[in-house]
Amino acid sequence: MTNTACSMITTTETPRAWRMNSLLRLAAMLSLLVGMGVAAESVVLSGATIHPVSSAPIENGMVLIRNGKIKAVGQNLEIPEDAERIDLEGMHLYPGFIHPLTAIGLTEIASVRGTVDVAEMGNINAALRAEVAVDPDSMVMPVSIAGGILSAHIAPGGGLIRGSSAIISLDGWTWEQMTLAAPVGMHIAFPSGAVDDNDNEDLKRIERALDQARHWHQARRAAEDGRAPVPAENDQLDALGPVLDGSLPVFLHAQNERVMRAALDWAAEQELSRIVLVGGADLQYLAERLADDNTPVILTGVYSLPTRRWEPYDMAFVAPAKLHEAGVRFAIADSGGSMNVTNARNLPFQAGSAAAFGLPPEAALSSVTLAAAQILGIDDRLGSIEPGKQATLFAANGDPLEPMTRIKRVWIDGAEYDLDRDRQRQLYQRYLERLE
Amino acid sequence: MRNSLILICLLLTGLSAAADWAPDIESWLSETPPQPTAVIIRSATVWTGSEDGILESADLLIRNGRIAAVGSSLRAPRGALEIDGEGRHVTPGIIDAHSHAAIIGGVNESSHISTAQVRIADVIDADSINIYRQLAGGVTTIFLLHGSANAIGGQSATIKMRWGAEPRDLLLEGAPEGIKFALGENPKQSNWQPDEPRYPQTRHGVAQIIQERFQQARDYQRRIDEMPSGRDGRDRVPPRPDYELAAIAEILSGERDVHAHSYRADEILMLIRLAERFGFVVKTFQHVLEGYKVAPEIAEHGAGGSTFIDWWAFKYEAKDGIGYNPALMHRAGVVTGLHSDNPELARRMNLEAAKAVRYGDVDPHTALKMITAWPADQLGVGDRVGRLREGFDADLVIWNGHPLSVYSRVEQTWVDGRRYFDRETDLARRQALAEERQDLIARVLEANGNSNDNRETQAEQPEQGRTFRSMAHAHLLGYRPWELEHDEYCLFDDHNH
Repeated sequence: MTNTACSMITTTETPRAWRMNSLLRLAAMLSLLVGMGVAAESVVLSGATIHPVSSAPIENGMVLIRNGKIKAVGQNLEIPEDAERIDLEGMHLYPGFIHPLTAIGLTEIASVRGTVDVAEMGNINAALRAEVAVDPDSMVMPVSIAGGILSAHIAPGGGLIRGSSAIISLDGWTWEQMTLAAPVGMHIAFPSGAVDDNDNEDLKRIERALDQARHWHQARRAAEDGRAPVPAENDQLDALGPVLDGSLPVFLHAQNERVMRAALDWAAEQELSRIVLVGGADLQYLAERLADDNTPVILTGVYSLPTRRWEPYDMAFVAPAKLHEAGVRFAIADSGGSMNVTNARNLPFQAGSAAAFGLPPEAALSSVTLAAAQILGIDDRLGSIEPGKQATLFAANGDPLEPMTRIKRVWIDGAEYDLDRDRQRQLYQRYLERLE
Repeated sequence: MRNSLILICLLLTGLSAAADWAPDIESWLSETPPQPTAVIIRSATVWTGSEDGILESADLLIRNGRIAAVGSSLRAPRGALEIDGEGRHVTPGIIDAHSHAAIIGGVNESSHISTAQVRIADVIDADSINIYRQLAGGVTTIFLLHGSANAIGGQSATIKMRWGAEPRDLLLEGAPEGIKFALGENPKQSNWQPDEPRYPQTRHGVAQIIQERFQQARDYQRRIDEMPSGRDGRDRVPPRPDYELAAIAEILSGERDVHAHSYRADEILMLIRLAERFGFVVKTFQHVLEGYKVAPEIAEHGAGGSTFIDWWAFKYEAKDGIGYNPALMHRAGVVTGLHSDNPELARRMNLEAAKAVRYGDVDPHTALKMITAWPADQLGVGDRVGRLREGFDADLVIWNGHPLSVYSRVEQTWVDGRRYFDRETDLARRQALAEERQDLIARVLEANGNSNDNRETQAEQPEQGRTFRSMAHAHLLGYRPWELEHDEYCLFDDHNH
């Protein structure tokens, strides 16, 4: 009902945005909002069972939201008089799901090349930044939001050194405003051919790029100290600097067990200190090593067939449970293919299915919320319903890892999102009329 | 070497055969599970898939592979196998009305725009591990179709998941003959670069070519019918047999059902009108993403709608796919089913049904019918499978919880009153299989004079283009060229099914 107006409030909350508007326009907008009676700086969501993820569920709880952030969470909060009250009796409040790895915003219709911006040509693309190609008006965004996916980690997909990833909110006017964090990590695909082959050409390409970056940064430091001339500008080598000094993690992509082991060995040789390993169900075979080294992982899907004929039918279903038992920090993603981008909304069900095969349900929920936020380094803002975090959450009529559950209302940065922006709902409503 | 390997296999199987029945990862090493004379499942929640709805704390009696009774406090014959259903749910076996999961070689015979003469029944892969894996997801019957590269793709096959049986014994006895049609982007070659462009390249071209084939088939049949019999026909030359037109003529005579791959409302409506002109009824529209837009027309024509619950936007014609499609088609009176078209997805069709509850408020039992009773009706076998009803085949699934819950698992899957999947047996068998595999690999390596570390070999995974010491070696490493090709096809070429 009031959602467009609410979105405006959020947008205008940042001082910069205020400045961008003329005073006249501002006044007009304010009068409009007051007229609609929705201009509440504080919002209280009450009556729902709150699932903070960071702690046990709170029945009949309250969430106080102020200026787009969660101010307080509990059963009997002191409520400011001017607060807008929203009754959510019988509902369940959850933090928005975080998709830990996808190409949402970069893919619209997989088979239409003009709508796909995932894989760049060439092998060394360190300077690519995923966020600059995000289409804020992608029809996939509202559909994903209706499924509770409220933010996503997006990464470029082609070549060896693929570029840097970003965490985006799925709602906003511009990609700039939607970008919550960037760069989040540098994505490197470890070549599977390098497992048995010390002279693997692709691995050499990666190593050459890293070596060049080392030398370039050395030269630049020398120049800063006045000991050498300034080296020519180079975006690629510049972008690799934070990887080399450990300030930016490497998301190391590897397909199967042997490649994963080789990739970890290689990363250690290269003295890359912050690694997030990205791979499929084979990650479970490395669980001990990952736990010992405290290497976090992104599991690219529970919904996959066993890689090998002899493996048990549930080999991929049990992978999260095995990682959990070993103490590995993990987030559950999907396999990232084009089919998965448009159906990013199915992510929570992958976590749920892992719970059917031994993963504790709390860990399943965390794998697509708080644990994902922690691995991505954004847990100060997302991943749980806790004071100080962004009020990015949703209300559902039950457990949102269950496909039968319906997500009823969504707030992003404290502003209620208009779920009727979902193209599928629009078509549903329209053609429902034809049948009536 | 190969002979000795087979001998080893046989010896090892011989040992395990002495124990209770257990499936092997090779179909040809799996014996048919026994069919108890009588089985009774006690005090379960039984989802009948019929107008009887969901029966709490009910018993289900199986006799000689058929359901003998469903009700409360049933009396079981002496010696019946008793299964405690307390806390468990029993549903009909899942029926997947769109699958390519057990086909040897290519799914498409894409050479010509119509290849009505080719038959899936000739290329059923009884040894596809997909069969066992899908049993583990509760699937008991699948409909094997050609791909969608051409407007008229070929003759389909309905099979039961009888792991261990010969291809011909997988065929569901008495199932109606079917044929795959395809409309839209795929037959007009929109999503790949063909070596040579082929007519048609438009949707109206697809319409025209299908119409033309029906005219030819009608002419062909007329020439056959007009052949005088007996003495009068003695000096007349009969029409040259044309297996393509003969198959299409069977559609016109009602002996073969059309299952038409389709996405957009316009093409769905086009085929309905074309069928009406030629006097037949399209049995199902497959995928039918925009079915909800012409649901009244589909219902009036009498076709079924076999759809994905939520796949959309992977190509342009899938842009308007909505999760609410099954709910809307059902509401309009279309016999609605959900299918997989994908060997991975097929293992969790219960969760696809759950989404029909999510999108459009379908009640859970109705949602379950979309993967059991109604796909059975669409395949013309709804008088035999898809419901838990007296006289029906004992094809059923025992779940450890609510069948539409993400937290539930399949415990047992029965086909023809035989327990083809049992999770406990599967878990117990894993260790033995792992040991057997290690032993075999060691022997293969030894036979080849190579004493590499076994663990190294174990970790290898099939990769395209790699070489093997022998076919047996390849097989042991899980590499089966046709299977890999097919799976990749399914994963990456999803536009073509």
